[in-house]
Amino acid sequence: MLLKKKKDYKFKENGRFNVDISIKMAALKDPFSVVPPADEMIVFLRQHIGTEAEMLVNVGDSVKYGQKIGEIPKGILGAPIHSPVNGKIIELSKKFHPVSGEKETAVTIETMNEEQEPFFEPLNPDEEPSEVLLERVRESGIVGLGGASFPTHIKLSPSQKISHLIINAKESDPNIACDCRLMIEKPRAIISGINIMAKILDVKDITVATRTQEGETPEFEALLKEHNIKLERMPPNYSIGSEKLLVKEILGKEIPSGKFPTDVGILVHNVATAYAVDDAIENGNPLISRGLTYYSTDLGGKNLWVRMGTPVEHVLNFLGESPSKFNRIVLGSILMGSTIANPSYPILKATSAVTGFTDKESDPYRNPLPCIRCGYCNTVCPVYIYPQLIMEAEKKNDVDRLRKLHVEDCIECGLCSYVCPSRIRFTRYLTNGKNLVKNQEF
Amino acid sequence: MKIKKMKKQDKQTYKVVRPPHLYIDFEKNELMLKTFILMSIIAVASVIVMGLGAFIHIITALGVVLLVHSVIHSYQKLKGIDFTYETPASPLVAGLIVGLSMPIAAPYEITALVAFLMILVFKYGQGKFLKRKYLNPAAASKSFLLVLLSVMVFLEDSLATGLLFHPHHLGLNLLTAEGFNNSMWIFAGKIIPFLGIELSAGQGLIFWQTHGWIGGASGITVLIIGSIAAYWLRYKWRIIVSGLVTMTLLSLGIGLIIGPDPFVRIAFHVFTGSFIFMIFFMATEPQSTPMPEISQYIFGISVAVLTFVFQLFNVLGGSIFALMILNVITPWLDKPIIRTPFGHKKTNGGA
Repeated sequence: MLLKKKKDYKFKENGRFNVDISIKMAALKDPFSVVPPADEMIVFLRQHIGTEAEMLVNVGDSVKYGQKIGEIPKGILGAPIHSPVNGKIIELSKKFHPVSGEKETAVTIETMNEEQEPFFEPLNPDEEPSEVLLERVRESGIVGLGGASFPTHIKLSPSQKISHLIINAKESDPNIACDCRLMIEKPRAIISGINIMAKILDVKDITVATRTQEGETPEFEALLKEHNIKLERMPPNYSIGSEKLLVKEILGKEIPSGKFPTDVGILVHNVATAYAVDDAIENGNPLISRGLTYYSTDLGGKNLWVRMGTPVEHVLNFLGESPSKFNRIVLGSILMGSTIANPSYPILKATSAVTGFTDKESDPYRNPLPCIRCGYCNTVCPVYIYPQLIMEAEKKNDVDRLRKLHVEDCIECGLCSYVCPSRIRFTRYLTNGKNLVKNQEF
Repeated sequence: MKIKKMKKQDKQTYKVVRPPHLYIDFEKNELMLKTFILMSIIAVASVIVMGLGAFIHIITALGVVLLVHSVIHSYQKLKGIDFTYETPASPLVAGLIVGLSMPIAAPYEITALVAFLMILVFKYGQGKFLKRKYLNPAAASKSFLLVLLSVMVFLEDSLATGLLFHPHHLGLNLLTAEGFNNSMWIFAGKIIPFLGIELSAGQGLIFWQTHGWIGGASGITVLIIGSIAAYWLRYKWRIIVSGLVTMTLLSLGIGLIIGPDPFVRIAFHVFTGSFIFMIFFMATEPQSTPMPEISQYIFGISVAVLTFVFQLFNVLGGSIFALMILNVITPWLDKPIIRTPFGHKKTNGGA
C-alpha cells in the first residue's frame, strides 16, 4: 500500500483533522538532492496567478541561466519568467498546462550546460532601500511557493498598512516535507528573507507558524529567537495551513468572506518564498528552482531541488523510476492537486510535490456510492459550509441555493471527500458550484 | 510570433484525475458492519431477556432481508449493473432494525412481511426511484403494514394483528396518575433469572422488559451501546441528545404535575423500546434526517414531543409515526437554517 492508513475518524468538528501524514514523515529526514536539468526544458509562460507573460525570445535564440524570457507589463497581475538553463530556444508552442489543463504557451529550451552563474548583481539588503529590494523581487519572478503562486512583489506592496507578517511554515499537506527540510538546511537564508520582506513592508511584528516540534529545526528556531521573531507551534491538523485559517489560529481574527488578510493589515507568506526572496537579493538568482517532495511506494519520500521546466519524467529518471510504472502522477498536494496527463509535463513554480501512484494503489474514489447523508463532510469542513447540500444544489444547477450555502467560501481543501464513507469526490461539485455562482455574477 | 501547435504532449498516457488522492479508508460498508456488530449486542441482550421468541423474530427479519438482497445482488451482477449495496452490511443493519423494532407479541409472519417490504420497497425501491431514502425504510414498512392490517376489518381481530391500537391498550389511561399506575403492572415484578432480583416497574422498564419492542428489552443496554455507537461512528448525535433530553423533561414534567412518581414516568417514556431504540438507531438514519445542526435539534425535539403525545394516547406505533412525520418534512428542515460560514460572522466584521 502506498499509504499507511490511519483510521482517525474520531475527528474534531470543523477542520483540525488528523489526516494521514505517513508520506510527510517518510520524507522528512531526506536531505535535498539536486536534480540536474533535462536535455530539453519546457518553460510555461504562466506559472503564477494572473496573465501569461509576454514572450521575449524567439526560436533559435541563445539564452543564459536566469535570463528573462517572459515579461509582465507593469501594473498587470503576473510575474516574469526566466530561463532555467544556459541553452537555445528550440520551440515555442501551445502545450497543455499542468494546472489549468488548457493549452498555454510554453518555451522549449535545449540545455547547453548546467552552469549557474548568478544572473543579477547580488544586493546588500541592509544598504539598499526598500524600493530597490521590491523591484528585485519583481524582476526575479518570485511567486508564493506555498501553492497559490500569487506574485510576491504585488503582495509585498499592499495598498493598506501591514501590521503583522506571518510566515507560513505550517506545511499542512500530508505529502509535503520540503518546507521543513528548507528550515533544516537553509535557516539563515530564510531568516534573511523574512527580514527583507519585513523591511519592504516596514513591519516589526513577525510570527513564524510551524507544525514542527521542539528539536526538529533547532538552528532555525535559535535564529528566530536571535532575530526576535515569534514562533507559533500549530496543531498538526490539516487545513490550518490555509491563509485565512492560519490568521484565525494565530491572531484570532476572522478574515471576512471575499476579503484578504491584507484587508485587515496582515500579510502571510510561505517560508519557501522567504528563501526565494533572499536568494534573489543576496545571490542574484531569479526564481528558477525550488524544493519539492517526491513520493512513491518503492522509493519512499525524497526531497529534491529541481529547476522549473524540468519534465516530470526527467525527475523520475533521475530517481531511477520508470514513468510507465505509474498510472497516476499528482503534482502538488495529494489532497488538492490534480494528476497530470503525461509525464512530459514540467515542474512549475508552484509544484511543491510529485507523487506517483501505481496500479496497486488504485484511485480510492473510483467507484463512488450514493450519498448516505451521514454529514461527515459537514462536520469536518474547516470553513463551516455544507459540502453535501452544495452537491445537491449543484446537481440541480440551483445557483440561488448555492449562494445561500456560501459555496464561494470553500477553500477546496478536500477534507469532505477524504472522510466520505461513500467515496464521493466533493471537490468537483464545490468547484463547479463556485463557477456557477461566479458565472451568474458576471 | 508564430507558435506551433502541440506535438509531443498530445499523447496522453495517464487518465487525469481530480483531487483528492488520499482517503481515510473508512467506507460505508465498514460503518454499516460496525453498526451491525454494536446492534448485535443489543440483540443478544434482547434474546436473553425475552427468550426464543425474540431470537426467531430477529433471525426471520435477517433471513428475509438477506434472501431478497442476494436475489437483487445476483441480478445486478448478471446484468452488469452497478451494485446498490456492495456487501450485505447495510441490508443486514436494516434487517436487524426490523427485528428489533417489532413487538415481541407480533406474529412471526408479520415480521417476515415487514422485513420483505422494507428491503424491497423502502430500501432498494426508494433508492432506485427517488434517488434518496425520504422515509426510514424500517419505519415506513412497519407502519404501512400495520396500518393496512389494522384497517382490514374482515381479518379476525385485525387490531391485535396490526398491533397499532391493541385492544388491551385502548383501555389504558396514561393521562392520570391512577391510570398510569394501573398500566405499569406488566413491567413490575420481573425477576432476573440466576440473580433472583425482583424489579419494580421502573427498574423493569430500564433493565428487563419482557413486553413491547424487542430492541427495548434492556433499555439501559440500548442507552450504553447506542451512546458508544453514536460517539464512535459519528451518528447525528444532536438528534439523539435533543430527543432524549426533551423526552426526559416531558416525562419529568408530567410526573411532577400529574404524577405518579417522576422516576417511573421517565423510565416508561424514555426507556420504552419504541423510544429508546428508535431515537438511537432509527431517528439517526442518515438519509431521512436533516443536515444542518439546528435542524437536527429541531428534528430530535419534535420526534420526542410527538412520540410523547402518541404514547399518552396509547398509539402503539406512535414513535414510528412521529419519525415518519419528521422524515417527510426533512427536505424543508434542510433548507432554511444553516450555520454561519467562516468569514460571515458580523462580530468579526464578516459579510
